[in-house]
Amino acid sequence: MSYDLFFRSRTPAPPVETSAVRLTTPRARPILPALDGDMSSGAHEAVAGRERIVPVGGAQVRPRNRLSLTVRGEGRLAYALLAPTLLVILFLVAYPFCAAIYLSVQDKMVGAPGRWVGLANYAELFRDDVFARTAWNSVVYTAVAVALKFVLGLTMALVLDQERRFNNFFRTLLFVPWAVPVIIVALNWRWIFDDLSGFLNNFLITTHLSSNIISWLSDPGLAMGCVIAVVVWAGTPFYSMTFLAGLQAIPRELYEAAEIDGASIVQQFLHITVPRLRTIFLTTVMLSTIWTATNLQFVLVLTRGGPASRTEIFPHLAYTTALGARRLGMGAAVSLVFFPLLAILILLLTRRMLRQADE
Amino acid sequence: MRSVSGTRRLLRWIGNGLLVVLLVWTLVPFYWMVATSLKKDKEIYGFEATLVPRQPTLANYTRLFAATPFTKYVRNSTIIACSTTILSLVFGCLGAYALARLRFPGRNLIARGLVFTYLVPPALLFIPLFTVISTLRLVDTHQGLILTYLSFSVPFCTWLLMGYFRSVPLELEEAALVDGCTRLGSLVRVILPMSLPALAVVAFFSFTQSWNEFLYANVFVNSVEVRTITTGLTLFVVEDVFFWGPMMGASFLSALPPLVLYLIFQRWVVKGLTLGAVKG
Repeated sequence: MSYDLFFRSRTPAPPVETSAVRLTTPRARPILPALDGDMSSGAHEAVAGRERIVPVGGAQVRPRNRLSLTVRGEGRLAYALLAPTLLVILFLVAYPFCAAIYLSVQDKMVGAPGRWVGLANYAELFRDDVFARTAWNSVVYTAVAVALKFVLGLTMALVLDQERRFNNFFRTLLFVPWAVPVIIVALNWRWIFDDLSGFLNNFLITTHLSSNIISWLSDPGLAMGCVIAVVVWAGTPFYSMTFLAGLQAIPRELYEAAEIDGASIVQQFLHITVPRLRTIFLTTVMLSTIWTATNLQFVLVLTRGGPASRTEIFPHLAYTTALGARRLGMGAAVSLVFFPLLAILILLLTRRMLRQADE
Repeated sequence: MRSVSGTRRLLRWIGNGLLVVLLVWTLVPFYWMVATSLKKDKEIYGFEATLVPRQPTLANYTRLFAATPFTKYVRNSTIIACSTTILSLVFGCLGAYALARLRFPGRNLIARGLVFTYLVPPALLFIPLFTVISTLRLVDTHQGLILTYLSFSVPFCTWLLMGYFRSVPLELEEAALVDGCTRLGSLVRVILPMSLPALAVVAFFSFTQSWNEFLYANVFVNSVEVRTITTGLTLFVVEDVFFWGPMMGASFLSALPPLVLYLIFQRWVVKGLTLGAVKG
């Protein structure tokens, strides 16, 4: 339990009154399972996915105990304090978001005014063969990358959760890819995959594992696999970090008790570990899906969508359309086409994160 | 019982084996980056290419500083990342205090908007933001880039700080208010001093994100004078020819600041991640 993830050491524990308020709030009480009393202290506090225990009513509970501090006119102060943040949200996110929709129904080019063209951009896009291929690629790319990151991340977390000497050191090393700028990761891997002098071919030929040069990134059958491998390399630490935090927050007594009852290792994993990590699994996968699906740097550096659109994905297609072909309107249409699916994820995640924060 | 402890021992060995595999998988790319940066061109390309540099040399690094605008890029990245961090911390503290401690109509809506805003991906926003930045005539300026970086940094900082501020005991602030402290006074004198570790972590995230950002930097900046390090690396690609030696050197050096910060802050990284930070 040396993995001190939080500020427990320095920041004081949350005030006791919080739980008192919670208990007196009729909406929160029925949902508290009996177990919560035993586990709400200590390690349990560290779990990010506490929402199983108090799923609703948090938002209403919190402000109520602040009532003593409320004065009339706080609204004005609040909005004054929030003004910079609101300006950023409105002008740098909300407005551009709406502008994207407006752009997508124009034929705007870089440096030239646009004309209203209705849904012509979308119609052209849907007729294009590249669209179907890009849609398929995007789904495969995202699904496979997320699945592999999940499996590898869980493996890494389980390995690091075992007891061994120098574990902290190994953990630091394994998480390092997280801290490296994505663009550097992509460039570095492009060099590893290089046909003539890259590490992979160099290594395979030196060790006589292969006698001919493999064109990793320009072989239609290999390119997508290579891109996904890089995405997985860069993204796995994020999964293992969150999973490891979850694993270390599970009280060891649960496993001991299960062992005494004769549960096998597999049973312990399926009936203790997995249920305990379920919320972390979900949040991590949802966050990562959004970021994986919308990251264009890997494709941009490694393959530029090639060979023959084999690795073309939506964010990269939007990028090349808007900046390569200078068609801003069409580019906006491309980026909006893949947004609805993401929007569902974003809305679900927003709800989850608000709920977690209110506890 | 015996079978479980037997399985445990077996699992430990499997775990150690997997650890070795994972370490190799994670570290080989770094090895290759550093090894390449220490080689002469002769060892990098062609028939004499080596896996281990035979005659290690710092030539690529000296070339980087002497013959390329590398230092300029480092300066630009530093200016932009620091400005973004400072601005988002100030905005974040003010906004987070309001959300954590004040009661006002629209509070829940704003909190929701904050998370939602943070999750909207840059890949969707860069095209309209390009028109915004062009209209404001901020293309090729530090200010333009800082402004766009605020779009992901401010919502995130506000959101994280809100969580931290809530964990500061209410009694302390009540005492300050009773003693005649104003709201802002209690933010500065009570909440902020108690949230110093949190501020450091939020600053770390904000700085790393801005330092590592590529898409906006690539779209909104062309001139060498304003280019950041992530887009400056593309300088080593000329007409599809990559100059791998200096590029790997530059890559290694540019990855150092976030790496060092990561080593310092790694204990706290996870907290930010589970609240929905940075990349995945």
